[in-house]
This record gives sequence, C-alpha cells and structure tokens, in this order.
Amino acid sequence: MTKQKPDLPQGTLDLLILKALSLGPMHGYGVGQRIQQLAEEMLQIEEGTLYPALYRIEQRGWVESEWGVSENNRRARFYKLTRAGRKQLAVEESQWERLTSAVAKVLQAT
Amino acid sequence: MAWWKLFLDRMRALRDSESVHREIDEELRFHLDMRAEENVRRGMPPEEARREAERRFGRLTRIKEMGYEVRGGGMLETLRQDLRYGARMLRKNPGFTLVTVLTLALGIGANTALFSVVDALLFKSLPVKEPGRLVLFRCVASPTFSPGPYAGYDGTDAAGRRVMTSFAYQTFRRIRQQQSVLSDVFAYGDLVLNVNADGQADIANGQAVSGNYYAGLGVGAIVGRTITNEDDQGGARPVAVLSHRYWQRRFGGDPSVVGKQINLNDTAFTVVGVTPPGFEGTMQVGSTQDVTIPLAWEPRMYTDPKNSRMYGAGQWWLRVMGRLQPGATAEQARAQVETAFHQSVAEHHDELQTSAQTAGDKPISEVSPQQYPRLFLDPGGQGEMNERERYASSFYLLLGVVALVLLVACANVANLFLARVTSRQKEIGLRLALGASRFRLVRQLLTESLLLAGLGGTAGLLVAFWIKEGLLSVTDWGGRGMLALQPRLDLRVLVFTLALSLLTGIVFGLAPAWRATKVNLAPMLNGGGRGSSAATRSPLNRGLIISQVALSLLLLVGAGLFVRTLGKLRSVESGFDGRNLLLFNVQPDLVGYKGERMARLYEALAERIEGVPGVRQVTFSRVPLLARVRSTRSVYLRDSLAIGADATNRVAANGQCNVNLVRENFLEVMGIPLLTGRPFDMHDGARAPKVVVVNQTFVRKYFPGENPVGKSFTFDVRKPDELEIIGIVRDAKYASQREEIPPTVYVSWRQGFGDMNRATFEVRTTGEPNLVIADLRRAAREVDANLPLNDVRTQSEQADQTLTMERLLTKLLTLFGLLAQSLAAVGLYGVLSYGVAQRTREIGIRMALGASRSAVVKMVMRYGLTLTCFGVAAGVLTTYAVTRYLESRINLSSMLYGVTLSDPATYAVIASLLMLTALAACYFPARRATKVDPLTALRND
Repeated sequence: MTKQKPDLPQGTLDLLILKALSLGPMHGYGVGQRIQQLAEEMLQIEEGTLYPALYRIEQRGWVESEWGVSENNRRARFYKLTRAGRKQLAVEESQWERLTSAVAKVLQAT
Repeated sequence: MAWWKLFLDRMRALRDSESVHREIDEELRFHLDMRAEENVRRGMPPEEARREAERRFGRLTRIKEMGYEVRGGGMLETLRQDLRYGARMLRKNPGFTLVTVLTLALGIGANTALFSVVDALLFKSLPVKEPGRLVLFRCVASPTFSPGPYAGYDGTDAAGRRVMTSFAYQTFRRIRQQQSVLSDVFAYGDLVLNVNADGQADIANGQAVSGNYYAGLGVGAIVGRTITNEDDQGGARPVAVLSHRYWQRRFGGDPSVVGKQINLNDTAFTVVGVTPPGFEGTMQVGSTQDVTIPLAWEPRMYTDPKNSRMYGAGQWWLRVMGRLQPGATAEQARAQVETAFHQSVAEHHDELQTSAQTAGDKPISEVSPQQYPRLFLDPGGQGEMNERERYASSFYLLLGVVALVLLVACANVANLFLARVTSRQKEIGLRLALGASRFRLVRQLLTESLLLAGLGGTAGLLVAFWIKEGLLSVTDWGGRGMLALQPRLDLRVLVFTLALSLLTGIVFGLAPAWRATKVNLAPMLNGGGRGSSAATRSPLNRGLIISQVALSLLLLVGAGLFVRTLGKLRSVESGFDGRNLLLFNVQPDLVGYKGERMARLYEALAERIEGVPGVRQVTFSRVPLLARVRSTRSVYLRDSLAIGADATNRVAANGQCNVNLVRENFLEVMGIPLLTGRPFDMHDGARAPKVVVVNQTFVRKYFPGENPVGKSFTFDVRKPDELEIIGIVRDAKYASQREEIPPTVYVSWRQGFGDMNRATFEVRTTGEPNLVIADLRRAAREVDANLPLNDVRTQSEQADQTLTMERLLTKLLTLFGLLAQSLAAVGLYGVLSYGVAQRTREIGIRMALGASRSAVVKMVMRYGLTLTCFGVAAGVLTTYAVTRYLESRINLSSMLYGVTLSDPATYAVIASLLMLTALAACYFPARRATKVDPLTALRND
C-alpha cells in the first residue's frame, strides 16, 4: 500500500518557495526540486502551480528575477530573494511555528 | 517590487503582451525539458519521460493563463480590449455616433458653460490669503432704526428688519481697538474719482481704505507697494494704488507708473503700486475698484467738504471686514465686539444730535438701547454677497434648466443606445452562450457609453466655450457692473465637465446595458436574431419618450412664461418718448465746480450740445429714467403739520413721493404731456417762490377729487406750504418698467440746486442717436476738457439694462426648450422608425390579410401620439409641481410680469406645439410602414 502524500495547505507554497530561495538564487525548476528534496519527496505538489506563485511573490517584491544560464547551458529565469523577502520569510516562519505548535497542542490533548 | 515598477511591468505587458506570453512559455518549457531529462536519466524511455513530466506539471494551458493573469496587463488590458471594441463599434455606426456625440455635447456644453459662470459669480473666493478666515460685518435693525445718512446696501430681511452692510467710521475705529479673536479689522468704502493723468480725464471706480486693508487681506503689489498704516494718517503724502485692470487699460501696463503724479478730483496723488491681476477689490462680485486711496484722504476728495462721507458725525458708508485668528469662530468675535459696536452707535447718534443742535434743526429722535441693531459676522471670503444673492435665484433656475436639457439628452441617447444594443442582441446572446459573464458584457457596453460620453464631453467643451462667449456673455446680462467677472473654463470647470461626462455615460448606458444582457438565450439563438419587437416597446423605452416630452413641456412652458413677461415689460407704456434719446452723466463737483459756476457749466454744456448737428433738443435731470435709481422725499400736507410732532419728536408724513430735479424743458423734451397748469419757465429761479409740477398719481393720492393747481405742500416740516403746484403732467414710469407708477414731483433744477452736484443729460436726436456721440464728446471737451462724459448710452439701452435677467432667462429658456423639444421629436421619430423596421413582418401579415394603408398609418401614429399625450399630461403635472416648488423657494412669480404661473394660454400653446411636432415625427415612420410589401416582408424570414 502506497502512502498517500498530503496536499499542501493553502498558502504554504509561498513560504516553501521563500525558504527554498533563502538558500541561494535558483530557477523555477530548481525551486521545485529543492522543495521536494527538503521534504524528502513527502509532499504532493503540482509543479506548474509554482509559477503563478512565483510571479505573485515577485510582484509583492519578495523576490527578483532575471534571465541567466542554467547548469546545462540553457536560458533560464533565475529567482533571488530580496531583503523584503528575507523579512517576509522570517515573519511567515514564526507564524507557521506558532500555528503548528498550537495545532500540535490541541492534537496532543487526550 | 515597488508599485511603480509593477505599474511599468503592467504597461509593458499592455504594450507588448506577446513578449510576456513568450517569456512564460519559455520558462515553462524549460521546466518540462529539465524534468523530462531528469526522467530519462533515471532510465525512462524519452516519450514516457515527457508524459510523466507533463503529468507532474499539471494543466499547462491553465497554468499559463494563471501566470498571465498575474503578469499581464490585468484590468488595464481588459479595459483596453473594451475600449478597442467600443471604438470599433462606434466607427462602424458613424451616424449613430455623430448624433449621440452632438446631443451629449450640447447637453454637457450647456452645463459646463453655465457652471463656469455660476462658479465665477457665486462660488469663487477672493484671491486673498486664507479667505476662509475673513468675516464681513452686517447689522440688522428694526425697520424704524435710522442711523442718519447711510450709503451702501440697505435691504429688508424676511422678518421685515432692516439689513445694512455699511458702518460709520466711529464703529470701525471702536471695533479695531477692541481686543478680540480678530487679528485684523479693516474698512473700505467706495467713491467716484475723476482721474486726470497725461492730460486726459475719465471717471473711475475708486475706494478709500484703512491703512491695514492690504495687510489684513494678505494682498501684495506686483509693482511698487500697497497702502500701509503710515499712509493713512493726517500729514502723510497722498498716495494711490491702481488695480491691475486699470493699470493695463489706462497706463498700458507701464511699470514706470510708480512714482507718477495723477490728479484725483483735482488733488495730486502719487501712484505707489499696482495690485495683482485677478484682485478686483472686495466689493460686490464683478465690480472693480480701479484706484485706491487711504481713508484719511477721503474728505479732500470733494469740492464742498460737506459732501464728504466723513463730514461732521459722518455717514454709515464703510464696509468692515475682519480676519479671524486661526481656530477662532465668527460667533466668538461677534460676542467680543458687539458691546463696542453699540457704544459706537450711541456715540455716532450723540454727534448727530450735537450737529443738529448747532445747525438749529429740531432734535432727532432718540435711540433706546432696545433699538440698538444686532451685529452679525458673515463669511467674508467672497466679498460682499448682496449682488450675488440678486443673481442667485435666476442662475440656480438656469442651472436647473440646463440640468434638464442634459437629462433630455441622456434620455435620447439612452433610447438610441437601447435600440442599438437590441439590434446586437444576437451577438450578445452568442457571447453569453460562450460563457462570457453578464458583468463582463455590461462592463463592455458601459465602456462604450462612457467612450461616447467622453467624446461628447470633449466636444461639449467647444460648445461650452461658444455658449459662454455668446449666449451667456457677461456684458450682455451683467452690464457695466460686472466688468470684472470673467468666467473661465479653468481646472475647476474641467473637473466638473469630466465628472458630468462620466455621470452622463453611466446614466444613459447602465439601463440599456442591463436590459440588453437580460436575454433568454434559446429563442434568441434560434430565432434568426430578428431581435424582439418587445425591446422597442419596452416600458423603459416608453418611459424615456414620455419623460422627454414631459421635460420639454416643462422647459417650453417656462420659456413661454418669460417670453410673455418680456413682451409685456417691453410694451409697458413708459409714459415718455424713449426713442432717439441719448443719455450721459456728468459729475462736475468732482473737479471743483460749485454754486453759480456749476449752474453756468450746466447751461453752457446744454447750449453747446444743442448746436451739435443732428441734435434736436437737450435737457438734463438729476435722476435718469428707468435706471433703477430713485430719489424719494416725504410729503407733508397742511393737515398733518397741524397735528404736529408726536412724543418722539417725529411729524408723521402723509406719504412718500419720487422727486426729480429737471431742466425747465425736461417734460417737453421727454414727451411727458402737461395736462393742466403751466410748465417751468426761466422765472422759476433760485430766489423765486418754489414751484413744482406733479403727476396724476400724486394728485390721486394727495389731492383726490380736487384741482391741485395753486395748492401747496412741503418736504420740510420747518417750512410748511413751501412748494406750490403749478401744473399736472401725465403719469410716466420712473425707476423701472415693473414698478407701479409712483407719485412723482418734478422740481426745477435751479430751485433744488443743493442736490444738483451731478446730472444726466438727455439728448434728443433727429436720427440714430449713436451717430452723434463723437461730436457730443468734442463739444463737451470744448466746454471743459477736465469733465468726462460718463456712461454714454441710449435710453432704450438704459431701459434694457434693467431687463437683463429677464432677457437672459427668456433667451436661454427658449433656446433650451426648443432644443429639448427637437431632441424629443428625434427620439420619437427614431423609436417609431425602428419599431416599424422591427415589425415589418407583422405589418406585412396585416396588409396581406387586408388591412388598408390608412389602418396601418393609424396604427403607427396612434402608438406615437398616445405616448406624446402621456408625455404632455405628465409634463403638465410636473410643470405644475415644479413651478409650485420654485414659487415657494425662490418666489418665481416675482420674476414674471403680467402673466401668472399657471397661465392657461401658455400651457395650451406649448401643449399644441408639442402635439404638432409629435404628429410630424410620427408621420414619416407611419408612411414608411405603408410601403411595406407583404410578399417581401414574408419572404424575408
């Protein structure tokens, strides 16, 4: 029996993208790869949805993008966390922690 | 990304949406390729690797769309699509577009033009520092309160109390000294100045101001300096400040005017500065104070110092303004200065009493503290308001009128628009069926209507300019008093027009758009898209036609009432012959004439002008006729003098009469016939017994049933029976065409000479009066080059000047009424034609079944005329209600003359006019209906 991979809760994709980019500039494919690696392939992500999310985040000013050359010498669009993005990441991380610990507390109640 | 960068991105997407799509495509393709390569590396066959990559990616087109929604032009882009589409639709129907834009341009243009005038006339603030903090003093007293000599606005409020805006110098001084929340209190009063500069004399509007006037207002000089407190002191040099307007006109804007000597009423003044353009003083709106001198110099402006308004106790003649400290209220200031005001009233009264005693006059009546007037501080940021209030009701009426015109225009365009979207029903149905949201379609149609309104508004600006300069030209309705009023199509007006256009677009676009998208899809798509005849006969459509007819009736009845008013006023029997009569004013006392010398001047001037070719007769009088000017006196008969004074030392007068001081030949020259007795002659001189000629009304009022010739009365209680009646003349109008002819007394100018310091000359010409003006001026210069002829006009121009508002209202109401009516007719015609076109099949069937042509005509006409009848009925009710309302708000009937608000003849004529127009508008579509060939109509299907 294969284990059902959980869907991503609404709104967490942005957080994951920011986190992935905090490790260094990356193109969209790389961002997806990195998230999957970090999640140890335990998350179900429709890869295409990364892109609208990236565009939205870019418009908010949290990441910047420019065309560059990928590791296999192809033209690719690279995303880089901005200073505002770094701040946003910190905010979202702490929010997430508070949320999960609260949810965990509720669930641990017997 | 900063908002501006975001905006730039959007704009880039808007300009070049292709490149955005390309970028997204490339990025997504990269992703899929990478994933597929990865899969191959893990050992999948290439095709499966590709499929797996796509599966993991999700729905590619959807993702692309979502991406473009974020990165594309967004709202702006749909807007652009809508605009493009709308513009294409408008280009495809040039006839429709042209009619609509023209209709809207007329409506919006009329509103813009009127708003620009109303804004300049009623709403604009003075161009001074923080006008919101200025307050203007006003006092309200019981009707019997008399402050002594008074000059300025003197009105009556709704409660019958006396309202005055001028104050004595004492009052100004007291209030200025009083500690209060007013940081500045300053005063100004008008005076007429004879300006002689560079050897040329003319009459200018002048004013005398306190030294802190300009500082208090916060108005500086653009050249030189303004008047200061140091200038307003005894012993200071006489200095004057010019308005920008006068500086330009009289001195050609030459900056070296500063330091120049000019003679004001024969006293040498030095010009020290010029005020900025746009600042015209703080008097009534539209008036301009050309030359300003310090208050301290006012007494020196008169040949006879007794004529000074500061002489003795002084007149109430100064307007007083104050500037509130920041945060202070007018009420605080009023409470602080009212006691000082009352004190000054008592002081002024005491001074009057003292001077009456020294002159040996009877003591004047006491003023008890209960009678003290109340002081009010009005907002002063607009200057004086009385003139504004006089114009306000007329202009609010006109604003209502043009708003109605715009409504009619909107109704018309809505109707056209409705017909047009109805014919696009199939397209709309198709788009709805393909999944376009109703909101999206309404937005599309609204964009079209806003586009039309925008075009209409732009064209409307041209119309507005034309109306403002032509129909609403200030010189036409405002006369000389409105010289400085210059309505402009400035930013405020442009914003108004923009807002109006948007509103218009929504008003006429929303209802049709809503209706057109409420479609039942199935029959629409099946039925071959003939469109439903129901749409052209919908309640909305009928309602629009009915309201157009009703509004036209309202406007035309209004126009009719004013046309009749003006006609009646113009044909009023004035009682004198106003044809070929040229008038001008002279004010010899301004340049040093008095006593015998002034008398000789009048004689010399009259005789010299009598010699000018083309002049038949010359006379002069103290008061011009039909000029809204009057001089009144109390009449005392022997019986009331016998009763004597009452407790307050007042002798009750028998009544009032109008007085005019006239040259001996005045009655003859003016064509006012003598009924009995004798006219004035050369023997009625200053030392001869005083004699008067009276009119019929005077006789009816004071000597009913008697022959008054030889009887006496007096204006002066100390000299009973001073005036002997020597003749009776026929009644003639005095101050205006509207008034009842008042009791009038004509006095020979030699016998009332004290008041003859100025005069109006009446020159009877043999031909066209304007032709002799140049010769007249030359003749007058020969008599005295320092004496300008002022305000040269014909008697009929003079009379028309008192009818300016009536003329304006008549002109505009008629024009706009006819405009509304033609719009309504066009609307009716359009709807019927369209209806006939839509019902071709039905009409064809009827005719195939044997309906006669006349039956078809009748059917179409009945429909149109029924609508019109409903419109007329609704219009009569609306008009009745609106006139009632206006009567209660602005006393409409007082603007009319010789016609009642519900004049049946006017209503009947206008209703028939509308029915006739409707008949014509219905006839042509009806005739076209009879041309329907049954076979073609049926085959058409």
